[in-house]
Amino acid sequence: MSAAGVERVAGSGFADVMVVGGGISGIQSALDLATSGFRVFLVERAPTIGGKMAQLDKTFPTNDCSMCIESPKFIECDRHPNIEILTYTEVDAVEGSAGDFTVSLVKKARYVDEEKCTGCTTCVEYCPLEIPDPFNQELSPNKAIHIYFSQAVPLVPYIDESCLFLKEQKCSICEGVCTTKAIDLHQKPEKLQLKVGAIILAPGYEVYDPRLRGDYGYGAIENVVTSLDFERLLCATGPHEGEILRPSDKKHPHKIAWIHCVGSRQVLAGTNSYCSSVCCSYIQKQVILAKDHDADTEAVIFHNDIRSYGKDFERFYKRAANLPGVKFIRSYVSIGREIPETKNVTIRFATDADGVQEEEFDLVVLGVGLAPPTKVERLARQLGIELNAHGFCTTDPTNPVQTTRPGIFVGGAFQGPMDIPESVVSASGAGAMSGALLKSRRGKLARDRHYPPERDVSEEEVRVGVFACHCGANIGRVVNIPSLVEYCQGLEHVAHAEEGLFICSTDAAQQIAETIREKRLNRVVVAACTPRTHEPLFRDTLREGGINQYFFDMANIREHCSWVHSKEKEKATQKAKDIVRMSVARTLSLEPLEEFDLPVNKTALVVGGGVAGMTSALSLAEQGFEVELVERERDLGGIARRLHTTLEGLDVQAFLHDLIRKVYRHQLIHVSHEATITDVSGYVGSFVTTVRTEGRTRTIRHGAAILATGADEHRPDEYLYGSDERVLTQLELEERLAAGDEAVTAADRLVMIQCVGCREENRDYCARVCCNQAIKNSLALKKIKPEMEITILFRDMRTYGFAEDFYLEAARRDVKFVRWDGGDKPQVEATAEEGAPVLRITVPDPILGQRLALDAELLVLSVAVVPARGSQQLARLFKVAMNPDGFFQEAHVKLRPVDFAADGVFLCGANHYPKHLTEAISQAYGAAGRAVTLLAQDTVTASGSVCEVTEEECVSCGACISACTYGAISWRETAKGSKAVVNPALCKGDGLCCAKCPTDAVVLKHYTNREVFDQIDAALADPWSPRASQQGVQHDV
Amino acid sequence: METVAPFAEAVVEIQRAGAESTRLCFQCGKCDVSCPWNKVRDFSIRKIIRQATFGLTEIENDDIWRCTTCGSCPSICPRGVGQIEVSVALRRVAAEYGIYPESAAAVRGACASLVAEGNPLHAQRATRAEWAQGLGVKAFSEGTELLYFVGCYLSYDPRMKKVATATARILQHAGVDFGILGTQESCCGESIRKTGAEQEFKDLARANIKTFIDHGVKRVLVSSPHCYHTFVNEYPEFMVHFEVVHISQLLAELIADGRLELHGELPKKVTYHDPCYLGRHNGIYDEPRRVLASFPGIELVEMADTRQRSLCCGGGGGRIWMETPKSERFSDLRVQQAVATGAELLVTSCPYCITNFEESRLSLEGDGVLEVKDLTEVVAEALAGPQDASS
Repeated sequence: MSAAGVERVAGSGFADVMVVGGGISGIQSALDLATSGFRVFLVERAPTIGGKMAQLDKTFPTNDCSMCIESPKFIECDRHPNIEILTYTEVDAVEGSAGDFTVSLVKKARYVDEEKCTGCTTCVEYCPLEIPDPFNQELSPNKAIHIYFSQAVPLVPYIDESCLFLKEQKCSICEGVCTTKAIDLHQKPEKLQLKVGAIILAPGYEVYDPRLRGDYGYGAIENVVTSLDFERLLCATGPHEGEILRPSDKKHPHKIAWIHCVGSRQVLAGTNSYCSSVCCSYIQKQVILAKDHDADTEAVIFHNDIRSYGKDFERFYKRAANLPGVKFIRSYVSIGREIPETKNVTIRFATDADGVQEEEFDLVVLGVGLAPPTKVERLARQLGIELNAHGFCTTDPTNPVQTTRPGIFVGGAFQGPMDIPESVVSASGAGAMSGALLKSRRGKLARDRHYPPERDVSEEEVRVGVFACHCGANIGRVVNIPSLVEYCQGLEHVAHAEEGLFICSTDAAQQIAETIREKRLNRVVVAACTPRTHEPLFRDTLREGGINQYFFDMANIREHCSWVHSKEKEKATQKAKDIVRMSVARTLSLEPLEEFDLPVNKTALVVGGGVAGMTSALSLAEQGFEVELVERERDLGGIARRLHTTLEGLDVQAFLHDLIRKVYRHQLIHVSHEATITDVSGYVGSFVTTVRTEGRTRTIRHGAAILATGADEHRPDEYLYGSDERVLTQLELEERLAAGDEAVTAADRLVMIQCVGCREENRDYCARVCCNQAIKNSLALKKIKPEMEITILFRDMRTYGFAEDFYLEAARRDVKFVRWDGGDKPQVEATAEEGAPVLRITVPDPILGQRLALDAELLVLSVAVVPARGSQQLARLFKVAMNPDGFFQEAHVKLRPVDFAADGVFLCGANHYPKHLTEAISQAYGAAGRAVTLLAQDTVTASGSVCEVTEEECVSCGACISACTYGAISWRETAKGSKAVVNPALCKGDGLCCAKCPTDAVVLKHYTNREVFDQIDAALADPWSPRASQQGVQHDV
Repeated sequence: METVAPFAEAVVEIQRAGAESTRLCFQCGKCDVSCPWNKVRDFSIRKIIRQATFGLTEIENDDIWRCTTCGSCPSICPRGVGQIEVSVALRRVAAEYGIYPESAAAVRGACASLVAEGNPLHAQRATRAEWAQGLGVKAFSEGTELLYFVGCYLSYDPRMKKVATATARILQHAGVDFGILGTQESCCGESIRKTGAEQEFKDLARANIKTFIDHGVKRVLVSSPHCYHTFVNEYPEFMVHFEVVHISQLLAELIADGRLELHGELPKKVTYHDPCYLGRHNGIYDEPRRVLASFPGIELVEMADTRQRSLCCGGGGGRIWMETPKSERFSDLRVQQAVATGAELLVTSCPYCITNFEESRLSLEGDGVLEVKDLTEVVAEALAGPQDASS
């Protein structure tokens, strides 16, 4: 059912871009493009958008609830006037060329008319046939007609092919009970022909099916499940409402095994040779969550390398490993047997010194890998694109978003197994590429959002509506929601209170808007989850309901209540009542606030002229925007100047040369060299940056900024580096190789040591690129001198994704690998053997049980990548955050990986975190895409919850100015002297100034003293009456 | 922990002997967990591979002689390491230096016997065809449709001669035109090759090939999966290509064609063991089962570790000639698995498996708990009436 007030494209057969695939990547592309002024078809073959992310319980490394961070985007898509969602629809053929495609699609028969359906689910209740629920991995039953999951968009059921009517023409109960006659059992698939200028392919991935080879008894042994099965078991919306119950007897398992690399990193027929990139981290996540569910759970993780290469992954790994009762054992395994009486499963594993051991487990979870999406060959044929040897999309390493067909771009895991942030980044990048292709069409088909007029409630008596959410079982299982609703109905000023199962679903959210109108509500409290994820959605809902969005308050009865008091239901219910009462009290004093429209300067500033900066700049320019590119060195190029090859065989210098040339030749890009930024002022849409460049000072006005300042190479003081010229870093080796240095090629034996200066106490992150670099340089050396003996000393080989193939290639070329433990580092000494000087590297080999003494002529260190010098200063100038490692901190590690929390500033490249060249390029396109969502607007809206100074009260002490870290307060000359004034565009609404002001002259709108005190008073008194507070009753505080 | 340096010269020798695939190993441990040795004692093929990689192989150690070449670990190795090739390579090096530990000393004797008499059992070549006396089995000549390559154990071993006899009876009953080479038949050489005696294998193979060519042999029937394996997979190294069929395949064919009718009942619970060299190495799992399924009244049950997971009897890799301590015999575990299914009869189709199972059977609790028979013995018993040994 369409959300009220949003016009649809329905009927017209053309738009600007078609996004094929409605997972997180497709959704991100659609939203970016729609916000940038393009009309988008979002096509998804499942009954709803959401993809795999909707099936996850939580996402690593923050353990955010997956659906909570994804589903607000469903509604955003649904409400966006520039996006038309076509679900249960598949692409049939694509004709035409870039700029002018004709796409034939088939809209499968849902047997339900989307326009008539209200999502009431009466049909589901009456349906007599139970089928295994596909969303719950077939672990629990659902009806033949059902809504795919509760937050589905559209919130319309579909009928599975096993329906009795569809198979045998028996039964049509659902048709009979539907009050709006929405069910049409004779519905036929519909053919559509739509014209678009560009296509973004984001069909995602499929998990590896262990049944293909009968791996680990999956399918035969009941208590062997896949990680996706386990994800559903963990989830409160899963088969057992968040109770981890094992299949055989539905009991809680206390000892669980996780097996890595199921279907991945193998050369056997029917398996995949690549590494699936995400399994190491998702297994650690599942371990942490399983322990959350039951602290006594014992977990054993069987692996062969832990690939914690991403931002915050290493700490996440340590977090899992340090939990009590958790063991990481480095060994691939086999299933011993299933014990008939208990249905427990034994696992056989190898140890370094104690032979093969067998241990018994209640449950075994298979870390299944990622495979190309189903029917991928057909998809490739229909779209006319090429697939690589693994069945994923063939992409250009210099532009990972480009497929082999011009005008068709790719986003998300169809490029190759990847994590959500990379997926989101590539989605924004695909948006940027589409935007560049279609830049002349920007805005032509776009529609504006129209809200109903805002009602003036100033004369009305306060009428609060309370909406209490069960959140499935997340809240409802602990807090007695009906009792809470009843309690609310008894509160003063509450005119309406109701409960809902998932208030975030489109249907329920729309209901709120309607209820606001019907019941003339002028305040709304939603008692549910966290405002961090859902406040924007509900504020938007208030606007749909015709009242000012600042009349909303969110009572968090999940994170603050049901999730932390899950074992004390009565007390939790009482606390929920307290929390809601406090919210209601707060709403009474809320004021309608205006949001500001700030003008947007269409120029972008890109800081950093390396590959990431240049790629961003070019993308922005190609999308039609002016770019000021500032680089602190004399030459453009950044760290890529020191690179010559990549694993995939790219000629980096040629690529760089070409990129630099394009940058200089583009008329919209202006480059400043030897530049130093001395000042940054202003705010989103209107920044003013002062740059000192080549002897002059320039003032640049720009609407957005992209920081692409790269990273540096760590200089170690161990392993004789610096004191022995035979010890090099990988970059130094690469430079010397490219220069044809004979000292390198003369070496007969070469040893590499990984993880130098990282993954240790004072730098506990992984530098991500070094394992690939080591392999790359080894292969290059072997090409020049096949008989050179090369040994790589590693802790974990982190050749994730398709790079795993190169790890195998290196092994084939006889590169040797020796694993060392963090605690027992290799020892290096300069010595002599038979009169010739050698470097002797001694390292214990765990399998041999002996120390190996390796003599070499060269020692190459894979050193850490560290934040670029000057990062901290830059962060201060732009007022952006940094993470504990000194890299920049993005707004949200999963879903906003190129945005800063500071509006209008974006980031890309190694300053975010060390990354490979192709990843930097992808992120650069992503940042450009995101920046354009801002630059394409003429105005940007700033929050209404900002501070304001009442001039008469201001005593000019200046405490507020010194307190504000955003520089939002300044002096203003008035007739009565200097008074503080707040720039609302810069104000972040943190209220520090209010705390400091001795006269309460500065007020934080939406968090006034009155509002806060009312909330506190309500906390302390039950029942609470607003009159008591108005009479100035004193409380001991 | 002692410190050692990689021994470069040893690496070169070992690699040259056929151990190139050690480089692929990434020490995941999957080989160790699937190796049958770890059901009876500690043994790490992973460590053997690792030592070979650095030239640190303990060449006088028992361990390099343990591998029975059962094929379990290569079938699940994620990197495609050829553990069997590596084991053979190490044995080649040991054989070159004449280094055999006590436990493998019998290999030398088998080798000498092969060189002298064309069989590893210290029997005389002249008596190779004695088993066929009085059975009306003809000598193979050009034009005979099928060469029945009997093999050493079936020719000489008292227990296995019964299998040869049963086979001949079945072939005659079905009217198959076959002949044997008699004293001109030499050992196929499969097992001795696995003990590193590469030259001796080549000599045997070339001799057999010459004999086949001289006699105009086209299609070869074998009883032993080891003969099958080498004829199909290794003799082509000499640029020849004979058609090879294992008796279980031929029986299935004959029964399907109606040339063999089983009239005898087999009202027993029967279980079938997949020999490593028939099943895992050569993919023949279904034909023997089809043969058994044709018996009226049979109840065929599967053991744990069936098909690709079949538990090795311990006879491959030349170990059929070596002494294995009682507590370390996989075949003991296998007959226990057979008993655990409730089966009264354990059927298989390999001379090494039968030899080992017959011995392990004796260590089972109770008498007559389990019978061990070859597939041909079971079939022969079920043929209708006494048959004249015709032609």
